Amino acid sequence: MSKHLSKYNDVIIIGGGIIGNATAYYLAKKGLSVTVLEASKDIGIGGSSRNGGGVRQSGRDTRELPLAMWGIKNLWPGLSEELGVDVEYTQKGNLRLGKTAAHQKILQGLTDKAVSCGLDVRMINGDEIRAINPYLSDEVTCASWCPTDGHANPLTATLGYYKKARELGVRFITESPCFELRKIKGVIRQVVTPDAIYEADKVLVAAGFDSRKILATVGIDVPMMPLKMECLVTEAEPPMFLQMLGTADADFYGHQSKHGSFVFGGSSGFEHLNKDNGSPISSSIGASCTCRGIIKYFPALADAKIVRAWAGWLDDCADHVPVISPVEEVPGLYITCAFSGHGFGIAPAVGYNVAEMIADGHSTIDLSALRYDRFKPKQ
Amino acid sequence: MKSINDRSQDIGPFVSQTDDAIIICRCEEITKGEIRQAIHDGMFTVNEIRRYLRAGMGLCQGQTCGKLVKNLIARELNVIPDQLDPATSRSPMRPMEMKVLGNEEVSHV
Amino acid sequence: MKRYDLIVVGAGPAGLSAAIEAARCGMSVAVFDENTKPGGQLFKQIHKFFGSKEHQAKIRGYKIGETLLAEAADAGVEVFLNATVAGIYLDKEVLVQIGAAMEHFKADTIIIATGAAENMVTFDGWTLPGVIGAGAAQTMMNLYGIKPGQRVLMLGSGNVGLVVSFQLMQAGCEVVALVDAAPKVGGYGVHAAKIARCGVPFYLSHTITKAEGSDCVSGVEISQVDEDFAPIPGTQKHFDVDTICLAVGLSPMSQLLKMAGCNMVDDPRRGGQVPQVDENGETSIPGLFAAGDVSGIEEASSAMIQGRMSGLAAAAYLGFLSEQDKDNRLADLEIALDSLHQGMFAPGNKGKTFTKTDEGIAVSQSLLKKGYLDDADLERFIHRSDQTDEKSGIHPVIECTQNIPCNPCQDACTRGCIKVGKTITALPRIDATISCTGCGMCIASCSGQAIFLVDEDYAPGYASITLPYEFLPRPQKGELGTALSRSGQPLGHAEIIDVRSAKTFDQTTLVTIKVPVEQAMTARFYQPETNAAGQ
Repeated sequence: MSKHLSKYNDVIIIGGGIIGNATAYYLAKKGLSVTVLEASKDIGIGGSSRNGGGVRQSGRDTRELPLAMWGIKNLWPGLSEELGVDVEYTQKGNLRLGKTAAHQKILQGLTDKAVSCGLDVRMINGDEIRAINPYLSDEVTCASWCPTDGHANPLTATLGYYKKARELGVRFITESPCFELRKIKGVIRQVVTPDAIYEADKVLVAAGFDSRKILATVGIDVPMMPLKMECLVTEAEPPMFLQMLGTADADFYGHQSKHGSFVFGGSSGFEHLNKDNGSPISSSIGASCTCRGIIKYFPALADAKIVRAWAGWLDDCADHVPVISPVEEVPGLYITCAFSGHGFGIAPAVGYNVAEMIADGHSTIDLSALRYDRFKPKQ
Repeated sequence: MKSINDRSQDIGPFVSQTDDAIIICRCEEITKGEIRQAIHDGMFTVNEIRRYLRAGMGLCQGQTCGKLVKNLIARELNVIPDQLDPATSRSPMRPMEMKVLGNEEVSHV
Repeated sequence: MKRYDLIVVGAGPAGLSAAIEAARCGMSVAVFDENTKPGGQLFKQIHKFFGSKEHQAKIRGYKIGETLLAEAADAGVEVFLNATVAGIYLDKEVLVQIGAAMEHFKADTIIIATGAAENMVTFDGWTLPGVIGAGAAQTMMNLYGIKPGQRVLMLGSGNVGLVVSFQLMQAGCEVVALVDAAPKVGGYGVHAAKIARCGVPFYLSHTITKAEGSDCVSGVEISQVDEDFAPIPGTQKHFDVDTICLAVGLSPMSQLLKMAGCNMVDDPRRGGQVPQVDENGETSIPGLFAAGDVSGIEEASSAMIQGRMSGLAAAAYLGFLSEQDKDNRLADLEIALDSLHQGMFAPGNKGKTFTKTDEGIAVSQSLLKKGYLDDADLERFIHRSDQTDEKSGIHPVIECTQNIPCNPCQDACTRGCIKVGKTITALPRIDATISCTGCGMCIASCSGQAIFLVDEDYAPGYASITLPYEFLPRPQKGELGTALSRSGQPLGHAEIIDVRSAKTFDQTTLVTIKVPVEQAMTARFYQPETNAAGQ
């Protein structure tokens, strides 16, 4: 099959999610020509629009924590203004809630680790918790509290980066899945889609769990699996609280959006086994189970109406930490994937630093702990 | 490649229209002008408009405005409306209170 | 988890018909419907249905609904009301809200018969209270006995707009105008004629440009449109109304099918997003069917046949019906469905313009533009040789001028005076050699209210006209009122000389008026003296 050979670009990004869009934006700002290829019909249809909107530092692995802290300090506060789209960034803290001694132990462990990295996070008791959020049930007895955490709107943030990148001349092409990466004379050069072959000096693979099969075409592997998670959203409710929430047991997580609706993710315990029909569809038990989990913590939400539930795949890495890395074995190739369900909050920082990595050869934040070749067998 | 897949195509400048203030999505009170502007911001699909503006994300889940939004996109992009996918259908099909949706005999599930 | 052989979603005409057929084959069947009452739209349809006997022609919709419910109960179908299906999940699992709890069910086959929702059009003020869908108006009137308003403007001249306009007048509302952006009436001419003769003006090639009012509708502005449906400045007309009724089409409520993962297509001729289905309604997911409006907008008659077809196909899918029996029974239903899909208004003829009937007669342009037949039309349709009654005395006049699938009139006349023939869409012909007894069965059997009995020799200088009348109060014999023309114009005094109602007329009153003989072919409606028609 002969294919149209498309115009040359400095960089091709595979994946029109928030990571791809943000990187495209920061690259375009540096003056590079960029094309973003999105496999589906919609921009940002994957994990970017299927998450709880957390912009958290607490609870993160120490390897990605510097990225999260840097992004919250440097990018999130001015992002709405920079993109010209309200990303609804709200920095009013994160409560990770617990009810039992076991919960307390989990939360204490996470807190100790974060404190060692210089993050302002501490354990608080039931009264302190209800002083911050009076709607929580009396059964909640402990929480970790990180006042500099927050949340944002993943839909407008993802599409905001898209809009702004597009304005700067980034070309976005939908329904263009990457079949194959091709090297020419030992360096990355071509991206093959059903309609065309795209050429560039640099290629970034930012395609969620699809990255694995794309990278396989040049002999690179990232050990990750798709994991289906479910979310739900209520009708608009009067403003109640501004914190981002989670629980020690991960019964649910989420926040109240600026619009008034509550966006919550949750688990039924079967996520790692859930099947689907080729698209990430809700299970028959997920939403009901999440509702029960929420009501246990927030009795006041019992009457709130759920208008929509959805599922999405996250790209769950072997060590649940992202891969953000150049690939020296395939010169010109870069990887950002395997975000394992907590990529949204660090997306601006990832986009910014990866753009630096691609354009300048080094990044503000040291990302060497997130390399693609860190996975080693047991000794 | 279908023309609507090239998000850099020139669809002309946004020109305001006399009826831009008309509400299209009643649940979320989104106007025709806001939707048309969003299309010019690059939102070429019903799903993208939904996520960018919340049009079709309210209580009726786009039952009323779905076709209207689709026709607006088609007109701005100069394509036939049935080339555009409607928004994704999601459960629950009707708004349901958390205490109801969560109320099931788990042993019967 | 509770299991059924078949779960049907939607207890309307398609869903109930499907459930009945499947249950009669021995299947365990549950039907879920989110409404308080079963029957879907049938219980709002107080008009007589078109078609032939097998399509339950000349029977009113709500009576068909009652029959279906009784049949479903007899067949052992379990109908769950106030049962909202939240979703359809993998492995044909159905999650249902019943009361204040969720219940999980599984079925080996599922039939989705969720019907359709009303389309909206936007104009300045369209979100004001008082702008309602025609279906909503029908629900208010016919299910809850609530008058939607006093003065109503109807947008949309399809069958829904025409039928609901008539029902609004029956409920005592005044319909000030019927408006459509299209250049011709979209629905059956006989439905249009029913409201035109009550004096409702038709504004084709017009659209609503503004709903007036601050808190609710107090008026409406319409404007003429050009070929591109854009309003022409300076053509505005104003009406004082408190209600604006929109009858601008329906969209299939196919979200459950999409959620279930069926292959969907966007087909404007079927009303929007619909599942890909085979001839029995089976979707791309084996054992999952769609029937009725959800797989393409038609009407209740075809929905019932489609429902029965999918019910039989589901029965065969699970071995409750042999392939041969299935084929035989489906063949009959296909013929019945096919006969409904004939004529000028067939789904396949959507958007086509007919200049002549199948009989070769030029169609009435007046009917398409104004809703009534003009004098030249009468020459072509009424005074053609087979209808001319050279003999004196009472005789039927049939003002049915479009090829629509309907034939109850031919069975109505026990003397065989009216013939439609094998082709259900043929225009009825009158056999002038057979003398008419004036029994009126033909009038009552005509769902389009298009048959009249005329006697030019009633008395010297006077003719009698017997017409169908479906308004309350019933006129009384001896009462004096006004004869109205086909366009609703007053022609002069008319005296009621006979009022007949009978069980076989099914609530259609036959009113006989006495008018001057020169009005024998012009007077077509009666307005009581005290108030306007339709009160």
